[in-house]
Amino acid sequence: MLENMAEEALPNGFVENPIAGSNPPASKKKRNQPGNPDPEAEVIALSPKTLMATNRFLCEICGKGFQRDQNLQLHRRGHNLPWKLKQRTSKEIRKRVYVCPEKSCVHHHASRALGDLTGIKKHFCRKHGEKKWKCEKCAKRYAVQSDWKAHSKTCGTREYKCDCGTIFSRRDSFITHRAFCDALAEETARLNAASNMSNAVANNINYHFMPTPLGPSMAQHFSSIFKPISSNEEAINQTTRGLSLWMGQGSSQGQESIGNNNLHGIHQLGSVSSGTIFGDPLVSCSNPPPSDYQLNWVFGTKLSSSNAEELTVSNSLPLTDVKEAGTQLLSVPSLYSTQHQSHQTPSANMSATALLQKAAQIGVTTTDPSFLGSFGLKCSDSQVRDGNKLCGVLYGTSNPILSTNIGNDVENSAGDLLQVHPAKRRHTMNEESGGGGQTRDFLGVGVQTICHPSSINGWI
Amino acid sequence: MAPMLQDEGSSSVTSSPLQLFSMMSLSPNLGSPYPFVRELKSEERGLYLIHLLLTCANHVAAGSLENANIALEQISQLASPDGDTMQRIAAYFTEALADRILKAWPGLHKALNSTKLTLVSEEILVQKLFFELFPFMKVAFVLTNQAIVEAMEGEKMVHIIDLNAAEPAQWIALIQVLSARPEGPPHLRITGVHQQREVLEQMAFKLTEEAEKLDIPFQFNPVVSKLDNLDFEKLRVKTGEALAISSVLQLHSLLASDDELLRKKSPLAPKNLNGIHLPGVPQINQSTLGELLEKDLVNGHSRSPDSATSSPQSLSASAKMDGFFNALWGLTPKLMVITEQDSNHNGSTLMERLLEALYSYAALFDCLESTVPRTLERLKLEKMLFGEEIKNIIACEGAERKERHEKLEKWVQRLDLAGFGNLPLSYYGMLQAGRLLQGYGSDGYKIKEENGCVVICWQDRALFSVSAWRCRK
Repeated sequence: MLENMAEEALPNGFVENPIAGSNPPASKKKRNQPGNPDPEAEVIALSPKTLMATNRFLCEICGKGFQRDQNLQLHRRGHNLPWKLKQRTSKEIRKRVYVCPEKSCVHHHASRALGDLTGIKKHFCRKHGEKKWKCEKCAKRYAVQSDWKAHSKTCGTREYKCDCGTIFSRRDSFITHRAFCDALAEETARLNAASNMSNAVANNINYHFMPTPLGPSMAQHFSSIFKPISSNEEAINQTTRGLSLWMGQGSSQGQESIGNNNLHGIHQLGSVSSGTIFGDPLVSCSNPPPSDYQLNWVFGTKLSSSNAEELTVSNSLPLTDVKEAGTQLLSVPSLYSTQHQSHQTPSANMSATALLQKAAQIGVTTTDPSFLGSFGLKCSDSQVRDGNKLCGVLYGTSNPILSTNIGNDVENSAGDLLQVHPAKRRHTMNEESGGGGQTRDFLGVGVQTICHPSSINGWI
Repeated sequence: MAPMLQDEGSSSVTSSPLQLFSMMSLSPNLGSPYPFVRELKSEERGLYLIHLLLTCANHVAAGSLENANIALEQISQLASPDGDTMQRIAAYFTEALADRILKAWPGLHKALNSTKLTLVSEEILVQKLFFELFPFMKVAFVLTNQAIVEAMEGEKMVHIIDLNAAEPAQWIALIQVLSARPEGPPHLRITGVHQQREVLEQMAFKLTEEAEKLDIPFQFNPVVSKLDNLDFEKLRVKTGEALAISSVLQLHSLLASDDELLRKKSPLAPKNLNGIHLPGVPQINQSTLGELLEKDLVNGHSRSPDSATSSPQSLSASAKMDGFFNALWGLTPKLMVITEQDSNHNGSTLMERLLEALYSYAALFDCLESTVPRTLERLKLEKMLFGEEIKNIIACEGAERKERHEKLEKWVQRLDLAGFGNLPLSYYGMLQAGRLLQGYGSDGYKIKEENGCVVICWQDRALFSVSAWRCRK
């Protein structure tokens, strides 16, 4: 039952080590959690020299080194040397797991072996090796070259700066800080009072969609994901309060919108290349990242215009388009800055919403109250055609209330446009007995109120 | 501004200045107005279009089709699906109004639509475009997934029913999140309902592939069916599994019913249309006349029971919706997440719906104009998705009118009556959604929280709502 381990073991396999535990269900290639190997797997113990060695297979002619024997054999063909590719020794694939040669290490025991050769190599280097690779920009050192490369790609590129001046390299700590930060709260209050200026989002700082794992253990990481950011009640309350910046200022102010412009100076856009996902090299897990992943990979960022044209018509649903979207850098946001307030865009290309609001305002404000009043008198006993709640205001109440409709729902005020029409039409219908109604009369009323007289009068 | 009516009090309302003007506007094809029209600036043109649209709608509602025709003619000079936002909106609204008029001649309407090709691939593409060009679906998915993840903490057997299984992205994301759970992934079953088999097959393929990659025990069950006649047995809900239901923009079509037509009993003969008496009753006219008689107007309320107004008491009755909710309730889901349009497009009168729809679609078209360049894809989305919705809202009545969007508060009432209790959406989900919106590159998108539900807005216009529910015993 005990495993055999030797310092200079060759990778030829050892006694298998059946470990008591539940057998994994017989599905397709099931992958175990890291450090919890398949009990029926073959345990292999490599020496530190073997683990650290690269290119152990050398060509005798030119001295070129290869990591795998197969590659060496193929290389030997070029020298016209005899070569032989080893076949798989047995029919059945025996799953192999590897243990760390360092005695004090957790993964030294077969029960905590790692399933991947590359994994154990990297683990050994990281934990027990010398940190030979150094980042140029910061002081960090790495034992594994790939870790170092990954870090240097992101080092200094993602910095989050709170308004209070504190700088963060990690998004999660940045977010937590902002939730508590007093300076931010003041800023929010100030900007909320100001008019709603639309801003192009600052695009000179990247926005990292993926949270880098928090602490040394994944468990802590997950709990931080599933509970709002922190794990003690006080912090949760504060976070809630802080998040209220996002959600609104509570019932006293009614419902405010998230994503107010005040937060836009702070938020940044980001790239979502997959290289940044596993940014923290110290985490040795190989699980896919948690809940925010769904933001990053699948939903990603908005398509740029060129991508939109790549959506081809075909019978197969192109999920790859989504993937591409996930890895696209965000388009320049200044393209999308909008100005929807009519007072800000006097020139052409007002938004349709602004046009409707303007039309509604014109319709209501230029209506002569006495004129309406006379209609009220005339039509109080007839039936209103449609939009009775709209017309009900007109006929059921007095005019001052009508004119204050501007402050109410925009829908109502737009409806006020029509209050003139049905009145007129109905009036006409009362006169006629149901022939094809020649009800052009109200056309004139509306046109004169809404459209610019200069251009319309050009018609007349 | 030009002076208003000269003679308000007189009975001859159709007297000179207005008549003169309206007669001018009746002769658009004499050539002279055109140069003036072309010189209209975008804003003026937009305002004029709004006016013409409302005018036309009034005519249509009144049944005066000649005038409606004239208005349509005028609008067609100015509107264009290729132009600026207001021009596009006007184009689709007038098409809808024209369609409505045409329904007065059922034979004509049917004949004109008989050879219409509806390519499944185009429909699928349009749904894909809606998913890509807007963040709304993604936000809904993020919120739904987060609610599911939280509700299913600790569950070993999870069954999800997707009432419109068209977009694999949602479930791929969920699979990834679930596979990273500290307690390990659950045994996951997803049942997808859709009308097209190909869509479900594609979904099955994508999801199974992802699940295999991540080593999750997974099963996808396709159910090819419309929601109207969904056989709940086919969903194969088993005991002992935790059930979650996701409905994205599906429930409103179940509100469609013929009730309002049946209830209207108008003693008046159907209005003559241009002197032609049609033996088959043109239903539009009958209903509008019927409305005339049934409404109590001075108080401004107590409409016929099937109208969805903004008064909180009146919910339009729909046996289909009730039946569906009952069946859902009978499955005892642990969680149900519902995404719906948050607009009142279910008013019983044309004008009500038209006004609301103008605002809603103005916001949607504005959003596109601000965030997407004027590509063919955008045009397709506008035409094949929004154009069709607008047509349905404006031109159809009764059981045909499927796009019965209602405001969130109405859905809350309905669900409450059906025995569901509201589950507030989590802060973390909203945080993710907020981040997603900001990453979308425009600050017009906003998220609001309303009693535990989330409303997604464009520039203060509420467009979509997401809410979560549990079974209340």
